[in-house]
Amino acid sequence: MVSLIEMPQALPQQLPRQNECPVEETEEATIMIDVRDLDFAYGSNKVLHNVSLDIPAQAVTAFIGPSGCGKTTLLRCINRMNDLIEHARVTGGAIHLGGVDINAPEVDVVDLRRRVGMVFQKSNPFPKSIYENISYGLRIAGINKRSQIDEAVEKSLRGAALWDEVKDRLDEGALGLSGGQQQRLCIARALAVEPDVVLMDEPCSALDPIATAKIEELIHELKMQYTIVIVTHNMQQAGRVSDHTGFFYLGKLIEFGPTTKIFTNPSEKRTEDYITGRFG
Amino acid sequence: MTPPKHILGTFDEALSSLRNNVLMMAGLAERTLDRAIKGLFQRDDNLCTTAIADDEEIDQLEKQIDKDGVDVLLRFQPVASDLRRVVAAMKLSPNIERVADQATNIARRARKLNKHSPLPEIELMVPIQAHAMSMFKDAIDAFTREDVDLARDVVSRDNALDKMNKTASRRLTQRMAEDPEQLRGYLNLIFISRCLERVGDHATNIGEDAVYAAAAEDIRHQTAAAAT
Repeated sequence: MVSLIEMPQALPQQLPRQNECPVEETEEATIMIDVRDLDFAYGSNKVLHNVSLDIPAQAVTAFIGPSGCGKTTLLRCINRMNDLIEHARVTGGAIHLGGVDINAPEVDVVDLRRRVGMVFQKSNPFPKSIYENISYGLRIAGINKRSQIDEAVEKSLRGAALWDEVKDRLDEGALGLSGGQQQRLCIARALAVEPDVVLMDEPCSALDPIATAKIEELIHELKMQYTIVIVTHNMQQAGRVSDHTGFFYLGKLIEFGPTTKIFTNPSEKRTEDYITGRFG
Repeated sequence: MTPPKHILGTFDEALSSLRNNVLMMAGLAERTLDRAIKGLFQRDDNLCTTAIADDEEIDQLEKQIDKDGVDVLLRFQPVASDLRRVVAAMKLSPNIERVADQATNIARRARKLNKHSPLPEIELMVPIQAHAMSMFKDAIDAFTREDVDLARDVVSRDNALDKMNKTASRRLTQRMAEDPEQLRGYLNLIFISRCLERVGDHATNIGEDAVYAAAAEDIRHQTAAAAT
């Protein structure tokens, strides 16, 4: 097994490569995730067609597009969450994380998911204490020293901007937190194992505007340290939080580029029509 | 080509209303400018007074466009070409309003000139007003038809208008020295020439905004940037 922990932290890329969709020239950013000619299918139903894009490190990349366009499937490909679905498989192309093909047989999937954390649409804390929610992943990773865990719990909760709100009740049940706090707890849980990448699948769709604002502010702070990929149906949110945006339609990446460009002057008519609310 | 309709019909209606108000305002400003110029050349005080009175309606439309633009931004959070059109509409309206202000100024100066015997030097204003008026009309036309080439052409014509104004001012200043009795009249003509030159400046701004709306390109201050 190849340990992803020992992977090079970043893969210097020779840009640009041949892509099937318009891709704006990016500044000399370090590429964390390299998706190349990716095809993916659920059984005989092909849902991703020849997708290629470079996701820069320490930046926020948003995937947008109508329901069923493949954006969540691609997100779940990045930490191989789709392995859990029967008959779902990559049928072509590759995803490299820090230079290593994540679908190579020798890759340890548990290790991959430690390095690529995920936050889901609906917060899903364990029915345990706040403390245990964070410490669980650390124990799985073989860390048992109490002082080390305490330190990691505080660091993660601070990182998720939740520490001040829960520091006096770490032993209370996580399910007693508000929806927004639960979602931030899930982010803290993902951060505890010190990932390089955090995937977020519509992380604010069930939250009120205040909780949403806190998560968005958190995303802005987290990108200093992590590579973040977010799927969102909220166009304004994509515009606010992301540095790069990819628009997907019918399983194809139609356009990928700087968010400002996508939202002021997209190159593709289908992008323009979707983001301006003319179809979808 | 007309873009496809939005799923949200009220969004189309709001954008259409904003655009129609801008076009109506431009039409009124053009009419006001035309009346002021005719009032000057035909020595018609009534036309001048009407031109001055028109300004009120244009001022109200400017406020309405600002209100509607903010409303569209708030309610629909437009992006891409929609956003550019809203931003351009909101930037166009103050320029149109200032064109109408220049027309009012011209009408006021014309009424003063009409109190005295005609000055042959008024002929100096003929090419200047024709140039300024065509710039304004074409700028609005470029915005309406999203014609980037025409908009760029309008911008490129501003230098010629500036030169015409300078030449006329020099000639009129010379006449003031030669014929001090008509000093007030020449001074009024200098002001009118400057007003027309300002109309060209506003038309240039409108042309630049038309390019932004249609092609997402910012062509402002390009000469200055290139020089530095």
